[in-house]
Amino acid sequence: MNVLELKNISKSYGAIQALRDVSLAIEPGEVVGLMGDNGAGKSTLVKVIAGNFAPSSGDILISDQKTVFHKPLDAQKAGIEVVYQDLAICNNMTAASNVFLGREPTRKIGPIKIVDYAFMRKRSAELFARLKSETRPRDLVHRMSGGQRQAVAIARTLLSDAKIVLMDEPTAAISVRQVAEVLNLIRQLSDHGIAVVLISHRMPDVFEVAHKVVVLRRGELVADKKASDSSPEEITGLITGAIETA
Amino acid sequence: MQKKDIGLAVLIIVVGIIVYMRNPLFLSPINLGNTANLIGLFGLFAIGQGFVIMTGGIDLSVGSVIALLGVLFVDMVGKFGVPWPLAVTLMIVLGVAIGLAHGVLITRFKLQPFVVTLCGLLIYRGIARGYTAESTAGFPFGSSYPQLEWLTIGRSFGVPHSFVAMLIVAAIMWVVLHHTVFGRHLCAVGKNEEAARFSGINTRFVTIAAYVICAVLASIAAIYFAMFTKSVQPSSHGNFYELYAIAAAVLGGCSLRGGEGSVIGIVLGAVLLQELQNLVNLLGIPSSLNFAVMGAVILLGVLADQQFAAYRNRKNTERALGLLQKS
Repeated sequence: MNVLELKNISKSYGAIQALRDVSLAIEPGEVVGLMGDNGAGKSTLVKVIAGNFAPSSGDILISDQKTVFHKPLDAQKAGIEVVYQDLAICNNMTAASNVFLGREPTRKIGPIKIVDYAFMRKRSAELFARLKSETRPRDLVHRMSGGQRQAVAIARTLLSDAKIVLMDEPTAAISVRQVAEVLNLIRQLSDHGIAVVLISHRMPDVFEVAHKVVVLRRGELVADKKASDSSPEEITGLITGAIETA
Repeated sequence: MQKKDIGLAVLIIVVGIIVYMRNPLFLSPINLGNTANLIGLFGLFAIGQGFVIMTGGIDLSVGSVIALLGVLFVDMVGKFGVPWPLAVTLMIVLGVAIGLAHGVLITRFKLQPFVVTLCGLLIYRGIARGYTAESTAGFPFGSSYPQLEWLTIGRSFGVPHSFVAMLIVAAIMWVVLHHTVFGRHLCAVGKNEEAARFSGINTRFVTIAAYVICAVLASIAAIYFAMFTKSVQPSSHGNFYELYAIAAAVLGGCSLRGGEGSVIGIVLGAVLLQELQNLVNLLGIPSSLNFAVMGAVILLGVLADQQFAAYRNRKNTERALGLLQKS
């Protein structure tokens, strides 16, 4: 069973064809490295999957069911979560508050509903433990390292029982040690059966965690290979066009 | 209570002790009662201002709202004989309308809060002056409204009811800010609106609600001020009050960049401002220096807070480095 399947997805903005006949299947727990040069269509593909906009043609199948997303919330409900490049996190709040941002649990005291901080802390501590991260629920995010922030952003996706997590350049702006932390987080997600689409420019990171590598060039899918059958050299060639297809 | 709140409370007590040692009248029941009354009046709308500041905005129209609604309230009750509960309700409805207008202009039409509320400041003041033709609005001679007066300028056991009203409002707003989903969202919108939107928060609603809260508290304050002064001089009533509110909120730990603040802090900020006012009177400093004293103390307070935070950060970094070297 595929958790996500794209069939002949095309997307054009007026005369510009951003995606052309892209087909791709992702299994539960699979980590897919999505690579390509700037303007190759990576962001467009991610936005189509996340429901930011509809494809011009082609089908999206979630767990083998044909699905149409009208807005990002639809994709979220279908189990697709996006970890944004800038993380979409509020620095002034605690880790727990950020994990629950926008879906705060409440309990009733008489007629008024108040935020259940105790539950938020307990639940997010569990999520951080599951991710094997040392992030503490009470800590303010602005005092955290880049890796811990990623843990917060990823814990958000666990909260909603995601099937697929799209990560846009999660290792772009952090230190070497933190990169290792983030890659570990990705492996944790995969171990829990959650598929990860990792968009990255950093070849070593992709080869370290990805099961398969997908390359886009000028809106076309030019490679869809097992990472173990490929090499960074081959992928570089595919990205630049030195190698036509694989 | 947050660390900042405690610091502010200590400052209030220290200033209080100094003033008391120079002039024991500071702690006399009459002086305390009068000061509490002023704290109540100014605290009421400072809390609203704090909510707007936490969204990263500002409301400059508060003083003019107090003048305009004050004029209208006095005229309605005094001149046209509208029953006061109806008049109070109307004032609050007007407050909601003003807040909605500000909020919609800022969120839907993407105007800057400073500009929108600056125009509000000019417009409401202008309407108040035009409506009264610059004459003072007052209650007719000999009229009295026992229940309304009891609620606004009355006292129980020497405690002015304006102060009690402020405490009640503060308690409600404390729950709203620190213990409701709306309060969480308010802080999120103030700090990182984009992140809030991505998290599925209705950021427009949150921002508009903050301006409505501010204008409604200003309209309640307008009634209290009108009852306190008994007559409203449209060109001077409530002048600069928005700045008192901003000062109280900033002293109380609200960051003008948004996302941070506490209700207790804002109330303490209002307390400190009135204490300083009182200090000028009691220590025989010429009252023309009033603003200068207030400005100097706020500046010193904010400066000290900044330096103290920087010092704490340095200490923390040193400790972390020390741990790293050991391991």
